[in-house]
Amino acid sequence: MEDTEILNLWKTYDRKLEENLVLNRRNADDITRLKAQSLLTSMKPLKIFTVVVGILWVAFVDVLIVNLFHVANPFFLISAGIQVILTKLAIGIYLYQLIIIDQTDISEPILATQEKLASLKSTTIWVTRILFLQLPVWTTFYLNDGMLESGSTWLLALQFLITASFTILAIWLFVNIKYENRDKKWFRLIFDGKEWTPVIKSIELLDQIKTYKNENAGL
Amino acid sequence: MQQLTREQQFTISMAIENNTDAFLTVINANKGIIYKVANAYCKGSEDRKDLVQEIILQLWKSFDKYDDQYRHSTWIYRIALNVAISFYRKETRRKEISNPIDEGLLYVADSDVPKNVEENIRFMQQCISELKELDKAMMLLYLEEKPHREIAEIIGISETNVATKIGRIKTLLKQKFANK
Repeated sequence: MEDTEILNLWKTYDRKLEENLVLNRRNADDITRLKAQSLLTSMKPLKIFTVVVGILWVAFVDVLIVNLFHVANPFFLISAGIQVILTKLAIGIYLYQLIIIDQTDISEPILATQEKLASLKSTTIWVTRILFLQLPVWTTFYLNDGMLESGSTWLLALQFLITASFTILAIWLFVNIKYENRDKKWFRLIFDGKEWTPVIKSIELLDQIKTYKNENAGL
Repeated sequence: MQQLTREQQFTISMAIENNTDAFLTVINANKGIIYKVANAYCKGSEDRKDLVQEIILQLWKSFDKYDDQYRHSTWIYRIALNVAISFYRKETRRKEISNPIDEGLLYVADSDVPKNVEENIRFMQQCISELKELDKAMMLLYLEEKPHREIAEIIGISETNVATKIGRIKTLLKQKFANK
């Protein structure tokens, strides 16, 4: 089939729509009265809530660290310190997402808008990586010198085993949670569920955008 | 807070009414764009109905910010394509909104297009639905015979890049029809 034939075929389809497509004016009119949020602002409340809860948590742990600095055991201080730094990073990502939401206008060109939206979703993967990185500190914050000096060897060995496994697992997940591993069984297990589909699709879309941008730059 | 007088309230409600009328006129004049975009990005009729609704809702939300340096069609294409590409991101709210509006917003009445032409149109739609999101947008704009300048404005790439992409799309489409 030649170009003109293909375009003529589309014109026939267009004509058919022109003649037969009907707008249900009553329903369209109802839409203008809906109190629904726009595509982007609907994402905001949950992110703002997460940031507020995160800031409260970080403030609480920071106050604990400062006030107990001279009395608490080093295990607690180091564990809480690491946890709070990683939480601050996650809050930073959520704040970045809120800024992108504010800067995105869906009446702008497709490539620019989709790049912002896809980056927005794909940074959620970073939050997950950071949260996994916190795993080991939840196995060390309660330790103290007394436990190490007078604790039973078996318990200490078990403690060491748990902390070491959590550390290896956390680092492994941090390094391996990436789009390239999306088809692996363990990845699907973690990112199972409808809420993760948009994240994975966003990364796919980022690849398409990258190709378009590279070609654009090359011309 | 200062209370509005009856006259002020009337003026505001008239302005809203006029704005709604203007919006519905624009939508009615460009309903084909909305339908074609929804059809290209959604295979199932329920999803398509939801997408049409979402596009019209987002157009309404952006109507006040419409920049008249662009044509209505450019503005509608940008929003419709952006919403269609992002549609998979918002499963929950879509269902919530679709409750009050149970009938479709756009529907096609019976037509008398010959069967073989109808078949070819369906095949073309199938070819489009198999494309990736951005290529799908390019294909739609090519078939609509939009000038390269307008395609560049909608997609956000250079006119030269538009020409290259369209060249590829033409070849792809011809190949698909040849292998049919």
